[in-house]
Amino acid sequence: MDDLEFRKRVLENPSEIADDVLSIAQGNSERLQFIAEAKAMEERIHNTAMSVSAPESLAQQLKALSERPIELTSTEKPSIRRYFAIAASMVVAVAITASVGLFNQQPSAADIQLRDDVIRHVYREAPRYESNLQDMDWQEVNKVVAEAGGHLIEGQSIKTMHVKFANGCRIGLDRRGAHIVLEGTQGAVSVFMVKHSPVKKAMSVDDPRFSGKIIPFGEGNLIFVGEKQEPLETYEALITQSFEWEI
Amino acid sequence: MSDSPVLDDRKKKQRYEALVDELYQDVYRYAYWLCKQAPLAQDLVQETFLRAWRSFDSLQNDKAAKAWLFTILRRENARLYERYRPDLVDIEDQSIADSDFNEPDEKLDRRQLHEAIASLDKDYREPLLLQVIGGFSGKEIAEILNLNNNTVMTRLFRARSKLKHIFVASSDTKPKGTGDDTQ
Repeated sequence: MDDLEFRKRVLENPSEIADDVLSIAQGNSERLQFIAEAKAMEERIHNTAMSVSAPESLAQQLKALSERPIELTSTEKPSIRRYFAIAASMVVAVAITASVGLFNQQPSAADIQLRDDVIRHVYREAPRYESNLQDMDWQEVNKVVAEAGGHLIEGQSIKTMHVKFANGCRIGLDRRGAHIVLEGTQGAVSVFMVKHSPVKKAMSVDDPRFSGKIIPFGEGNLIFVGEKQEPLETYEALITQSFEWEI
Repeated sequence: MSDSPVLDDRKKKQRYEALVDELYQDVYRYAYWLCKQAPLAQDLVQETFLRAWRSFDSLQNDKAAKAWLFTILRRENARLYERYRPDLVDIEDQSIADSDFNEPDEKLDRRQLHEAIASLDKDYREPLLLQVIGGFSGKEIAEILNLNNNTVMTRLFRARSKLKHIFVASSDTKPKGTGDDTQ
């Protein structure tokens, strides 16, 4: 076994070096040192790789996935069908543009991805807040909003809202956003504050169950999603009057 | 007792939850190193387990669960994120638990090594992490990555050679404190 072969065999897996490799290193101080260094390095690599740890709440969130009704889990399609669905939704969006006037230009791929993420997130998080009956404390709500880079001005009008849930979220391009859930007339109303890449124009979020809209707001987006019949304009008016991005 | 492959819902759920408890940390770690950003990794793990739950009946052998989950995760990463995400190392946002090491030098070493692993080309990073985090053999890694065994072993060798080179080079530039210059 030449030196290159020896080094290759050691570095393929320093934690489990084969006996034939170990035996030919016996009596050769250079090779023994190479093995010792490789093992020491491997321990560092292992410790570093394993030092990444999941958020404490993740296990519970993963277990909660099994609580979802099968029809909800099946709304997410396999990849090819998904892209067909995106393409189809773009066509629908263009059609709505003509009749409603909400859009006057086609959404970008990033905008579509954002919309897709929103629906996915709402379905995924719903089991966590559907059973919440008590209002959250405003300080807690604003803490979550602040972590997303925003601020809610606590006027009288906004305090009429019942906030059932507030948590950080990752919607769109990696940045931390805020997801707060209000009590609506038809069920939960999700409001997202995401401080990055405003969509080009306000765009709708449509789904067999939910509807909503993404509104470019300063440096980011405000997103409102509720059950089909929910009058989202009320919440949109309240939030847009009370919300601002921190500079 | 029945040998029916169809599990009742309760048993299936218990089995799924046991799988989550046993594997979610490793799946998250692999996700983190794959996409290099904690928030994305969390989303990726959720997508992975959602897919796993939906096709849970297809998992016949629990011993194969880890390789199965890692394979789903790789596929989901490719499907959902690779095309949308710049290849950044978000080192400031990392989820490294640092409570188990206190020495400043050790912390610095781990940080350098973290950066070095993250900077490895994906072709080298993936087999390395499948071996280190997943504990998979060369043959298993070859199956997950759809490569032949020799290619996997060569990539493992090169991954460690590169790490050694990067790490030694960066160590040479750092200030010497409590060095281990025992020679």
